[in-house]
Amino acid sequence: MFYRLAGIRHTRYAADRQLWPVPVDRAQIAALTAFAAAAPLLLSNLYLGSYLLPWIIWSTAALGLNLLMGWAGQIHLGYAAVMAIGAYSTIHIVRAGLPFELAIIGGGLLSAVIGLVFGFAALRVKGLYLAISTLAMQYLVDWIVSHVQAISGGSQATLQAPAFRVLGLPVAGDMMRYYVALAVCLVVTSFLLNVGRTSFGRALAAVREKDFAAAIVGVDPFYFKLLAFWCSSFVGGIAGAVLAFCYYRAVTPEQFNLDVSIQAVAMVIVGGLGSVIGSYLGAALVLLAPIMLNNLVAALARAGALPMSEEVLSHIPLILYGGLIVGFLLFEPLGLAKVYDNLRNYFLVWPFRHARR
Amino acid sequence: MRRTLTGLALATVLSAAALGPAAAQDKAPIKLGTALDFTAVYTFVTAEYSQGQRDYASLLNAKGGIKGHSVEIMVVDTGNQPQRGIEAYERFKNEGAVLVDFLSTPVSRAVVPRALADGMNVITLFHGRSDAADGTVFPTIFPMTPAYWSQATAIVKYIDDQEKGDLKGKKIALVMIDSPFGREPLPVFEELCKRLGYEFSAFPYPSPGNEQSSAWTQLRRFKPDWTIIWGAGGGQSVSVRDAISNGIPLDRLASVIWLSETDANIIGAGQTKGILRFEGVAYGKDLPVIQAIEQEVVAKGKGAGPAEKVGGTYYNIGVASMALFGEGARLALEKEGEPLTPAKLKKGLESIKDFTADGLLPPVTITGEDHQGGGRGRIAAWDGSKWVPKSAWAPAYQDIVWDLIHKSAEEFKASSK
Repeated sequence: MFYRLAGIRHTRYAADRQLWPVPVDRAQIAALTAFAAAAPLLLSNLYLGSYLLPWIIWSTAALGLNLLMGWAGQIHLGYAAVMAIGAYSTIHIVRAGLPFELAIIGGGLLSAVIGLVFGFAALRVKGLYLAISTLAMQYLVDWIVSHVQAISGGSQATLQAPAFRVLGLPVAGDMMRYYVALAVCLVVTSFLLNVGRTSFGRALAAVREKDFAAAIVGVDPFYFKLLAFWCSSFVGGIAGAVLAFCYYRAVTPEQFNLDVSIQAVAMVIVGGLGSVIGSYLGAALVLLAPIMLNNLVAALARAGALPMSEEVLSHIPLILYGGLIVGFLLFEPLGLAKVYDNLRNYFLVWPFRHARR
Repeated sequence: MRRTLTGLALATVLSAAALGPAAAQDKAPIKLGTALDFTAVYTFVTAEYSQGQRDYASLLNAKGGIKGHSVEIMVVDTGNQPQRGIEAYERFKNEGAVLVDFLSTPVSRAVVPRALADGMNVITLFHGRSDAADGTVFPTIFPMTPAYWSQATAIVKYIDDQEKGDLKGKKIALVMIDSPFGREPLPVFEELCKRLGYEFSAFPYPSPGNEQSSAWTQLRRFKPDWTIIWGAGGGQSVSVRDAISNGIPLDRLASVIWLSETDANIIGAGQTKGILRFEGVAYGKDLPVIQAIEQEVVAKGKGAGPAEKVGGTYYNIGVASMALFGEGARLALEKEGEPLTPAKLKKGLESIKDFTADGLLPPVTITGEDHQGGGRGRIAAWDGSKWVPKSAWAPAYQDIVWDLIHKSAEEFKASSK
């Protein structure tokens, strides 16, 4: 129907190897990018500032975690701690007088260095044991942030994000903040899209499937596991900095606690391990579904459809949300990305069930 | 497949409905937004607090509203998550709210920068940033009640009075949750320590406070004359239980505001007899405002929750928050005229003078500089069935509190540049 693949033949390797060989996909990406670029004009401030903006920032973070969990197969339960390091250090660097562009890279690097230290654990332990040692990172960073007032910002434990400029332009107002977040998101997305096509991505896949098998074929798991932790922590730190500067505008320890780490892992798993679009869909579900369900239930309650107390009402969205996550994972254990893929495959060959490969 | 698609379409329609505009509006009601935590951490407070707020709004509306305007409270759950609080805040702002309330320290901290930029009034009764009492730095943040620092001074003042003004050589222990909230009163106790000459020691227990036995064992070695507990939620009943099992006399054990009849009943109403707590809002039904709510709202079946909760600690705090708002809105409409905007409401709140809501509150006076409302509080004791006031409404050592407020507010001002 939409895809019309008949007659498309790639005659050069470059054409066959491009990111989106199907023209409709390219059109889709172009339309989405155009929408993202024009969003401040199309959406009201409410939807821009409290739906789209957090969504793209969280998608950036989910992409970073997905690199580690989906591509390299290493679980991380302390991702919020990585983001916290990025957020706090970027704020402190900007305060020290450096421009935001350098500060965010500095924040990312510091996250990467500290993340790397915990990555060393991954060299010795796997699976659940790695989950526990990364959990330790979460607690350690939480404790240090909330106990060292020089980091957390005084007795109120709140650190304001200072006013900042990007490329000489002052970033104020939802529109500018959105564009900064979008730019970072686009860079990270294009990095992740291309990872799978590089030797780095293939090495990660080999390590993920079996690390000693990878070692036998000459892929050094020591090096690539650490590189995966380094890259993913760098992205996490940058996402944390963007979250602090563009969305929260003030950071407190609670914004990066264990719950947030669990949410990030949920985004990756519900969205789909090792999938770029999955990171976006997972972030949307985990971040926005509770809010939308809440508003839905509130709207039904206002219309008089749900005659019960506020206390009970506020628990209904939680039940629905839990059901939604369980439902999606039962329906498609490979995540939302796979749901999308199934739909796409169906329409690729429509009206037939199968196509000649 | 078709079923899936139908499901998807249905979901889309439903979520579109969820995002759509709110229900029809009356003739210029005054709108408030309360985004509270009904489901995660502060559940022990939220339900009763919100019930009190809505019942008082019903009372106002039954009496013809504020200068003819009805009051509409929008209530939404945040699950204590900052991003949901921010979404709710932006939604309230869009719907024309003049005041918002979060009753959650993490959420209100996350919203403060936005609210200051937008000029939206945020009320933070008994929680949130203590330094928001400085109205010159936080123009639209209204604690309106004694902040944690004032609660700490009030407790020490009571102890000092009990010891006839001679605290030299006495030992005061603080058992607190190891979080920014728990550590917040430390500078007050240390400063007062220099002034009054008592011996002070702090015993932190790890968050969330389900397990505190090591702190209490250490405390026993310190042999305190007075013990102060500083926590919230489930940790409070654990503290009291551990205090009892370590032989701490309860009439020498005082708590921050977050200790209610619910905690006392969890441990056993009879076993907790004598325990002291800070009180910023009067307890019980024996107050004109609560009586009016009983007659006008609850008796007519319009109560927002179970009738037995009326008059409880947190219920009355909810009522007090709306009473202060109502007074501020009335003054704003009188002085500044229609229609009520956030900026006018701010001026209204800042002209509240000696307001007690007929004995529900200590005299509250809010000015452009002092958003704490005077910092008056008292100490009450649990007698097995109710909280009995042990001292009169009074401010305590406000010079120390304001030194800290100014210092911290200065830091905030410097950091937000």
